[in-house]
Amino acid sequence: MALLSFERRYRVRGGTLLGGNLFDFWVGPFYVGFFGVTTMFFAIVGTALIFWGASQGPTWNPWLINIEPPALKHGLRFAPLMEGGIWQLVTICAIGAFSSWALRQAEISRKLGMALHIPIAYSVAILAYVTLVVVRPVLLGAWGHGFPYGIFSHLDWVSNTGYQYLHFHYNPAHMIAVSFFFTTTLALSLHGGLILSAVNPVKGQSVRTAEYEDSFFRDHIGYSIGALGIHRLGLFLALSAGIWSAICIVISGPFWTKGWPEWWSWWLSLPVWN
Amino acid sequence: MSPFLKASGVFVALLLTSGVVLAFERTSSFQMGHPGVGMDLVQTNKELEAKVQANKVPAALPAASSDGQLAVDAYKNVQVLGHLSSGDFTRLMTAITTWVAPEQGCAYCHAPVKDANGNPEKDEDGYIIADTNNLHSDELYAKRVARRMLQMTMQINGEWQPHVKATGVTCYTCHRGNPVPQYIWFNGTPVEGRPMIGSNGSQNGPSLKVGLASLPSDSFETYLRGDATANIRVISKSALPDEANVATVKSTEQTYGLMMHMSTSLGVNCTYCHNSRSMAEWSTSPPTRNTAWYGIRMVRELNREYLEPLHDTYPANRLGPTGDAPKANCTTCHQGAFKPLLGVSMLKDYQVLAAAKTQPAKTPPPEPAPEGAPAPEGAPAPEGAAPPAPATP
Amino acid sequence: MADYMNIFTQLQVASPPHAGPPIPNKEFRAGRPFLSKLIGWFGNAQVGPVYLGTLGVFSLICGFIAFEIIGLNMWASVNWSLSEFIRQLPWLALEPPAPSNGLAFPKLNEGGWWLMAGFFLTLAIILWWVRTYRRARAHGMGTHVAWAFAAAIWLYLVLGFFRPLLMGSWGEAVPFGIFPHLDWTAALSIRYGNLFYNPFHALSIVFLYGSTLLFAMHGATVLALSHLGGEREVGQIVDRGTAAERGALFWRWTMGFNATFESIHRWAWWFAVLCPLTGGIGILLTGTAVDNWYLWAVKHDFAPSYAAAYQVLPDPATLPENSKFEVKP
Repeated sequence: MALLSFERRYRVRGGTLLGGNLFDFWVGPFYVGFFGVTTMFFAIVGTALIFWGASQGPTWNPWLINIEPPALKHGLRFAPLMEGGIWQLVTICAIGAFSSWALRQAEISRKLGMALHIPIAYSVAILAYVTLVVVRPVLLGAWGHGFPYGIFSHLDWVSNTGYQYLHFHYNPAHMIAVSFFFTTTLALSLHGGLILSAVNPVKGQSVRTAEYEDSFFRDHIGYSIGALGIHRLGLFLALSAGIWSAICIVISGPFWTKGWPEWWSWWLSLPVWN
Repeated sequence: MSPFLKASGVFVALLLTSGVVLAFERTSSFQMGHPGVGMDLVQTNKELEAKVQANKVPAALPAASSDGQLAVDAYKNVQVLGHLSSGDFTRLMTAITTWVAPEQGCAYCHAPVKDANGNPEKDEDGYIIADTNNLHSDELYAKRVARRMLQMTMQINGEWQPHVKATGVTCYTCHRGNPVPQYIWFNGTPVEGRPMIGSNGSQNGPSLKVGLASLPSDSFETYLRGDATANIRVISKSALPDEANVATVKSTEQTYGLMMHMSTSLGVNCTYCHNSRSMAEWSTSPPTRNTAWYGIRMVRELNREYLEPLHDTYPANRLGPTGDAPKANCTTCHQGAFKPLLGVSMLKDYQVLAAAKTQPAKTPPPEPAPEGAPAPEGAPAPEGAAPPAPATP
Repeated sequence: MADYMNIFTQLQVASPPHAGPPIPNKEFRAGRPFLSKLIGWFGNAQVGPVYLGTLGVFSLICGFIAFEIIGLNMWASVNWSLSEFIRQLPWLALEPPAPSNGLAFPKLNEGGWWLMAGFFLTLAIILWWVRTYRRARAHGMGTHVAWAFAAAIWLYLVLGFFRPLLMGSWGEAVPFGIFPHLDWTAALSIRYGNLFYNPFHALSIVFLYGSTLLFAMHGATVLALSHLGGEREVGQIVDRGTAAERGALFWRWTMGFNATFESIHRWAWWFAVLCPLTGGIGILLTGTAVDNWYLWAVKHDFAPSYAAAYQVLPDPATLPENSKFEVKP
């Protein structure tokens, strides 16, 4: 595969965390590295397990394939392969692959002289996943509390797990998480739109500079956070969405077992109302 | 970073960690559905222990003789339990006293001993003494209500097995030692004085009736009152609109309100009866939903046939803010347990409450023998000889 | 390490507030701009000025009217008790008319206030949209922000106007209230057989999560390149520097594919815009074209089935012996 015009001079040795020069090479556009190898290993094994699980199931319809976790009765033990064991192995592979991917991102960051924002950000996504399939199940004492691997089956899990707490929208952390998701999307549309509107100005005009960006936003809402600030804000909003999602599910069960609307009784019974 | 900042960072981290560790309680989970579908019930072990404590069943009284004189002969004015042996009858009366009026005793229902001025006499502890020579009196409203409640209990055990199964109910199921069951409900008070602004449509305020959601809080009136006709079902039976389903989002909120009540009453969650991927689908619902379906119909009948008609029997202080009689809902019996008293059957020790029986006629005294062969002593009266007891005397 | 991550602006240059480039109608700007050291840690230190203009003023007035109608109705619903107003605020709402009202203008206290609040809020939003468009033009810039905003307005109008119109009842619309609008959302999903089986809802969530993912990726990439001037995106777009090259190569080496400094903003814009766009379509179809999304999924073979974990009983209402329970409203 052809390199980008400027790519050759960036393809240099170094920056690896593990394996020295041994895996310090590229395959096509992909950088390999030690963690590229482990990523491949876990990804291939995990995917193969999913296909194997699907082959033992009733359907090859991709919307319907369902790799289910063990029944609660298995607790935190290994379950027989066909009774959730595959799910457990896939989970191990997924965590292995995701972590390898993050470490690979760290190696690539180092190689390119970049700071580590990307692997750190990605770790938050891993954290959310691990919270769902490891932390919460461990706190509740059964792997069966993890979500099933299937496109619509995982939505059934989300639905039922929400209704375990009668009305999940009343979960305060869920409220915060959803607000962060919406705000992130709003901020992304504003940022994307602003940059596009600056580099695609009115016909015949030259490309707009940062002072136009700032001026437009000051006129618009009285404040322009600026070119650096918007990326800080965007990253903060996006990561907060992930972190609060993880919080909202880990407190459901381990720290609150009733309906979420009932949680709000503390507010109603504050002494200040008397 | 300054050492102070570092120290306070460590302190905050420790505080948060210990907060999390302290807030964590061990739980027990019960799986309702297929693995991974998420139909589970998570409860803390503390909650479970509290439920066990709150649902302790009082020990059954020693069995009495089922032979001998019938209550209808032994006592005056026995309208519902006349078919019992007087042994069974007095055992039940004793049990009811411990279940319903353990402090007040017999005098809660039975007319008191009166002094010269007609005031009830009290014992040294300040409790009113029932007049054992006047047990047949219907003077107190409580006795007239109790008679109807006995009929209701028998109706539940006899006719509502699809809901109560063989477990059945006794007075204790609702009363738990209280003369008035703890969990009854009255019609809501209509909002007044805001003709122009601020109507909330019986919703949008925190209500315990709907588990503190802002859902409509008039679900009892709408779905559980004796005259309720509203359709609880709101979900269409066909994928595409076909005019058959007129339910709106608002009526769905009302149904949701009722479901919040049912869940909190039973201490369970929605997935106890539904696979929420399709709330409506019976073919994916646990059998508990079936039991609950009968429960709703049972509550309606109890309110319509038994509780609401007692309106005129009650004194004013027993009526609700709008003057309606106290009514039942799921909490009245369940009181936070998936089965009342966690499924322990008290009925098996008090089979006399199992089902309504035709009342025997009083055995005629032998002296003024009527013409023809007199019925032998203690023999039950012929089937249908006595009319069913009246609703209220 | 923390310095290198550039989480805060540690060295702030204090200069007189910037008046911006020469554009028309600058005289409508209000408020004296000032610098805030605190805000400067995170973004630009300069706050203000803001452009008011006729559209802005009228938009704010309409928004204020809607806000007041909603707030006063909520306050009245707790009998004008201030403490109860604050205490119950999350539960309070201004409710749309009853479904039986249809599309008529209801009595004030039976949904009329709701209709008025909705009218003024919509007016405020549309005026703000025009303002967004005109401010972009005044700067000689493209109108991408305005059109992204229009996508959000589409979802808002579907929820409160288009769908109720098609359903023939204002009562189908969303109440104004914190918890009550969440109740509405849950009830809508239940009534129409589980919105998770609505493919447009699924798409909308994909774009919602996708936008979050994209912003995390993009924000992190730019911050990680900030020591090379990565945040000067327009400059990097028209005159590619090492920041843009490294950013591109990072993703190329990681996942075999990269955007450019311009195209990432096109990805961003489309992901963000498609979230409310597809979401609005999903809501518009709900109750109008599809009445039960779960059954629709069954019909189109994308609802998984599970082995029965319990005894399945028939609908008791269909049993002949239960016909006695049938209630006729």
